[in-house]
Amino acid sequence: MSVPKLEQLSKSVVQGPSLATGAIPTMDWMDIPVAFKPGNYAYPAKAEKVAYLDSQKGLHFPNSREWSPEDDDWKLPENWKDIIIKGLAERLEKFRSLKIFMDCCVRCGACADKCHFFLGTGDPKNMPVLRAELLRSVYRNDFTLAGKILGKMAGAREMTVGVLKEWFMYSYQCTECRRCSVFCPYGIDTAEVTMMLRELLHLVGVGINWILEPASNSNRTGNHMGLQPHTFKDNVEFLVDDVENLTGVRPNISFNRKGAEILFITPSADVFAEPGLYTAMGYMILFEAIGLDYTWSTYASEGGNFGLFTNNETMKKLNAKMYAEAERLGVKYILGGECGHMWRVLHQYMDTMNGPADFLEKPVSPITGTVFENAASTKMVHISEFTADLIRHGKLKLDKSRNKHVKATWHDSCNTARAMGLLDEPRYILDHVVDWVEMPENTIREQTFCCGSGTGLNTDEIMELRMRAGLPRANAVKYVHEKFDVNMLACVCAIDRATLTSLMNYWNPEVGVCGLTELVANAIVQEGETRPELEEGLRTMLF
Amino acid sequence: MDLAEGFRNHKEKIINKWVEYTLSSYGSSKFFKKERDQFANPVGGNTREALTALFSLLAKGEDSQQFKKPLEQLLAIRAVQEFSPSQAVAPLNAVKHITREVFKADKERRHLVDELYDFDFAVDLAVLAAFDIYMRFRERLYKVRIDEIRSGNHVLTDAKCPSNLLSEKNK
Repeated sequence: MSVPKLEQLSKSVVQGPSLATGAIPTMDWMDIPVAFKPGNYAYPAKAEKVAYLDSQKGLHFPNSREWSPEDDDWKLPENWKDIIIKGLAERLEKFRSLKIFMDCCVRCGACADKCHFFLGTGDPKNMPVLRAELLRSVYRNDFTLAGKILGKMAGAREMTVGVLKEWFMYSYQCTECRRCSVFCPYGIDTAEVTMMLRELLHLVGVGINWILEPASNSNRTGNHMGLQPHTFKDNVEFLVDDVENLTGVRPNISFNRKGAEILFITPSADVFAEPGLYTAMGYMILFEAIGLDYTWSTYASEGGNFGLFTNNETMKKLNAKMYAEAERLGVKYILGGECGHMWRVLHQYMDTMNGPADFLEKPVSPITGTVFENAASTKMVHISEFTADLIRHGKLKLDKSRNKHVKATWHDSCNTARAMGLLDEPRYILDHVVDWVEMPENTIREQTFCCGSGTGLNTDEIMELRMRAGLPRANAVKYVHEKFDVNMLACVCAIDRATLTSLMNYWNPEVGVCGLTELVANAIVQEGETRPELEEGLRTMLF
Repeated sequence: MDLAEGFRNHKEKIINKWVEYTLSSYGSSKFFKKERDQFANPVGGNTREALTALFSLLAKGEDSQQFKKPLEQLLAIRAVQEFSPSQAVAPLNAVKHITREVFKADKERRHLVDELYDFDFAVDLAVLAAFDIYMRFRERLYKVRIDEIRSGNHVLTDAKCPSNLLSEKNK
């Protein structure tokens, strides 16, 4: 190889299609068109799924059709522009927060370098400020005097097909993790800007299948996979067998039992996919150990709410399903499993959408008598709050040495950490059940980095995108793996459990992923157990 | 002045230019170049750490087997970003030019430019190794994708459920 001339090399490196924009990155951002190619976009929703959702009461998903992001013509409805501008006007009227977020950004740049998509791509349109500017520029053009008069000089631009394509590209390169919001001096919730972009796109039939199919399944059978009641029941019962094989104690479970004290709802992924299965087994061991009077539901068989990634009507409807079931069964309150966005919906939107849930009782732990004042209105308690309280009152017999095969670190899941402030309870639990260490300070707690695949971006066709978006998280895990021999990344989110597994398989193949309750159950000493030495805890295969 | 001394003296300058050049391949690279906290800036931090380690190996004429670790650190990242394979590895080659440029600007060390044959050869080996490593990460990426699809499919047949595995074994 010859000695390269820097200019020539630069040509091959910097010029030509690069980054997600597919263009030379020296132009003004407004002038850079998006280029869709395999690997940088998620597959569009199947027409029949969109049509089904549109046919459902309370939901609005018009303009279903077959289309492809790679085609020039997205087959938009003729009046697509009117639909978008009217949709934006309606939302500005309905959501005061949106109006404020559109007006109050001073472009200080505090958020710019906080987004994991920006940190993984170096694409300026992944700076939260610029991502929001994609919508704000149109808002200025059509809804502000300065924009109407000064146009581009005031940062305004007309809504065009190119802008719409840009919205699609970048509203699906945001996981609504809200890390940027932590740093915004005005508290602008950029996730809500993304939510609005996605809502507007749905009005013209532009959405992705990985979100709309689970949303339609949830509406139809109650869970993302579309499992019917008997299948859901079978899966949970398989896990009961597994727990009995491993511990000698058969957990007592019930489904749709009227009069149970508590309704337990968790993401359906916990009962049908690794490594969530072990977390589900953990729930059963925990509840059995304390003799909890609870029931599963085959109808409210999904904690996840892909409505949050779709539009507010779908979010409301899917959330309401849990409460309808709680009311039908006559339980006192709901105990929620390890889920991420279920808790964001609960803490930030449930009360105004469907609450307060006055037909339920203020949650009280039947074991310790603790009143969960924080859940007085939503009537739903997080499993980690519940477990930490049990440990605090000495109600669990724990043997930490049963987790001696694990050296853990803790991933604060975005939604539970930033949207509900669940920061110390998991750490308190970890202290009692496992040897663990923290990741670096600027990657945990409120500043935690997203798994890179949240908000329905956990689909395989964008694996590269997910790997680069997850780099900041993986980079911090790599550090504790190399320095402290960490071999397990624990978390309280089902999407995390699935996507961090792939993320670790790429970046840190020697680190596994588990739910917190799996670690708790590994350590629980149960009455009457005939448990052999389980070298890998609940993951041990017994023959 | 011998070559080793020349490398020692100008190490920092060469590495800085090399890192700067490599990071210029990103659309918005100011932050990547400026921020030194490796957790706040994983692309910049890992690029700097990898190229610093690699330069020492290249300058000392170490065995090319040792290039693997820093190259993996760099290429794991570039293999999942939107670079073509050549764009992903091209910045490695730039160190030849940068080293010449730095030596040439120093009157006392200008003559060292003629002694860079072994160094150039080491860089060539690093570039070749980088292609292999790039491909390994691409293959790992596809494997991760396949594993994920597979685990999804098995969901419905519950083949991964331990008790089911057990019952199949007993059949």
